[in-house]
Amino acid sequence: MTDATTTLAPAPVARRSHATLGRLVRAELRWIYRRPRTLVVLGLLAAIPVIVGIALTFVGSAGPGGGGGDGASLLATAAGNALVLPIATLAMALNLLLPLSAAMSGSDALAGETAHGTLRGWLLAPVSRGRLLLVKSLGVATFALSAVLVMAATGVLTGFVLNGTDGLVTLSGSTLSLPAALLKVAIAAGWVALQLWAIGAVALAISAWTEHPMVVLASVLGGVIVFSVLQLLDALEWLHPFLLNDSWLALGDVLRDPMPTGGLAEGALRAACYIVIALSIAYAKLSTKDG
Amino acid sequence: MNPKKRAVTVAVAGTAAGAIGLGIMAMPAGAGEAPELPSVSAQELVESVLKADPPALSGNVAIDNDLGLPAMPGMAMLNVESARVYHDGDHASRIALEQNGSEVTLVQNGGTAWSYDAADNTATKTTLPENAERKHKAAGQDELADPSSAAATMLDYVRQSSTVAVDGTATVADRAAYELVLTPKPTERTLLREVRIAVDAENRLPLRMSVLTNGTTEPALQIGFTDIDFGPQPADLFEFSPPQGAEVTDSQPRNKPEQLPDKPAGEVTGEGWDSVYVGSVPPETLDRRPDSDGPDARGLLDQFGTRVQGEFGSGYVVSTKVGTALITDDGRFAVGAVPQQVLTEALGTR
Repeated sequence: MTDATTTLAPAPVARRSHATLGRLVRAELRWIYRRPRTLVVLGLLAAIPVIVGIALTFVGSAGPGGGGGDGASLLATAAGNALVLPIATLAMALNLLLPLSAAMSGSDALAGETAHGTLRGWLLAPVSRGRLLLVKSLGVATFALSAVLVMAATGVLTGFVLNGTDGLVTLSGSTLSLPAALLKVAIAAGWVALQLWAIGAVALAISAWTEHPMVVLASVLGGVIVFSVLQLLDALEWLHPFLLNDSWLALGDVLRDPMPTGGLAEGALRAACYIVIALSIAYAKLSTKDG
Repeated sequence: MNPKKRAVTVAVAGTAAGAIGLGIMAMPAGAGEAPELPSVSAQELVESVLKADPPALSGNVAIDNDLGLPAMPGMAMLNVESARVYHDGDHASRIALEQNGSEVTLVQNGGTAWSYDAADNTATKTTLPENAERKHKAAGQDELADPSSAAATMLDYVRQSSTVAVDGTATVADRAAYELVLTPKPTERTLLREVRIAVDAENRLPLRMSVLTNGTTEPALQIGFTDIDFGPQPADLFEFSPPQGAEVTDSQPRNKPEQLPDKPAGEVTGEGWDSVYVGSVPPETLDRRPDSDGPDARGLLDQFGTRVQGEFGSGYVVSTKVGTALITDDGRFAVGAVPQQVLTEALGTR
């Protein structure tokens, strides 16, 4: 990992010309996807739907629903349904694993580079701080999107292998055509990716303020856990609409037919608000950082 | 502007914009002020509701339940928080009861009714007798032939025990609505304070019902539309064909409701708000287990009820915000929206 960063990051300094945004983003993405840990995380995420699908098919039902959140009760329906499996595993992973990978990517992007001293290259280069943040955000966003897409893709494939392409039944009992089912999975994946971008943006903001990647990881994960505990407390109902995970249960709405859009739209807006807040704080810190 | 100043500006502006966005979303929907509507008397309002046919609509119904019911095993069906409702303005309707991660769909189209439970992938088809609807309608028409006299009869009956009034207006699901309020007369011994029904000013469709109990400001039970759209609905919403692989059962509607073997036999004593349903079940049903691995009914009562003793003998009292139930050890029971004392009196008269 260190090799890649040291060879790639100072490149703009050496050239001393204005690097195009496209080239900077390409360099950032190459740096992200060449790290072994990125690939390991993606590989593990890809394995989850396969394991869940096989377990549900060969071991039996997921047990009585409820208690384990939306993902767990959706899983009860996921057995024998190629449409539900990818969405149910996304709902399950959204509770902890996907935020963890988004936080990892966000912590590497700024704090990790600061820790290795490689962020200096970026700061000294003739790249404006806004552009630097843009490049870093695009890197985190791309990684989050690829994590979601990998999970959705293996979920769909596992469902097809185990249950065939028919029997794409929604929670409302209607049977969907293949393109319609894929569209639903795509909507779910896009929505989950948006939620992860919000988490990634928060991770970037914390990342800009510290030089210890562990701090970023710990605070984002701690935040996710605290948020889900706060959601359980009815006494704090007034606070719930401010928490990012308030509409995460709405992901199951994708599987209903006709699809209720209220909860999903609200969740998307909430994620957008988090992104605006986090990126503006990240920009404020990054633009005053000394080179 | 120096970089430091700009950084602060950006941070403050961005945070404020995001926080305002979150704040707007946190604002309770439908908290608008009461709309101005021409005044209407309670009788006119009830009459117009009886006269009105529900138009084609689609909407979301939220069920807020603050009854204080104990969480019982095997009562997942009660765990419904919201439902989507579709009606074609004629005979067909579709109701989707949303549960956490699952759904129960009820589709009714003229002669056929389907119910589908996604959690266990089962569908039930009920064919309604062809003349049932007509008969129902005819029977209903006798009574409701003249909505104004029907409204008068109904109000006369209700007014024996309650005060009925139109109490201002409200905004429900962005629609202007009249609030019809039923308040028990002071002589009624009940836990309930009032029942409010919001009626759409234009379509005269009941939009929301709230049950308020003594000593609370939040409704103990509220069922109402959170959003509603009037207009024609796609016809395929009211068709249902069971998905492949679903377990389909045919059920014939019973013409006469059969006496269930252990149906508790009972009767209603009292009138109005403090009526009490009194009856008895064989004492051995208390020892039956609802789940094979769950506790028996007596165990549940031990857990959720309070042990009481009195003239009626000894038994358990289960109290919620809207009602009380008293079950004695020899299987007699009394249920009502009343305080415990009324129940013990009702049991004593038997």
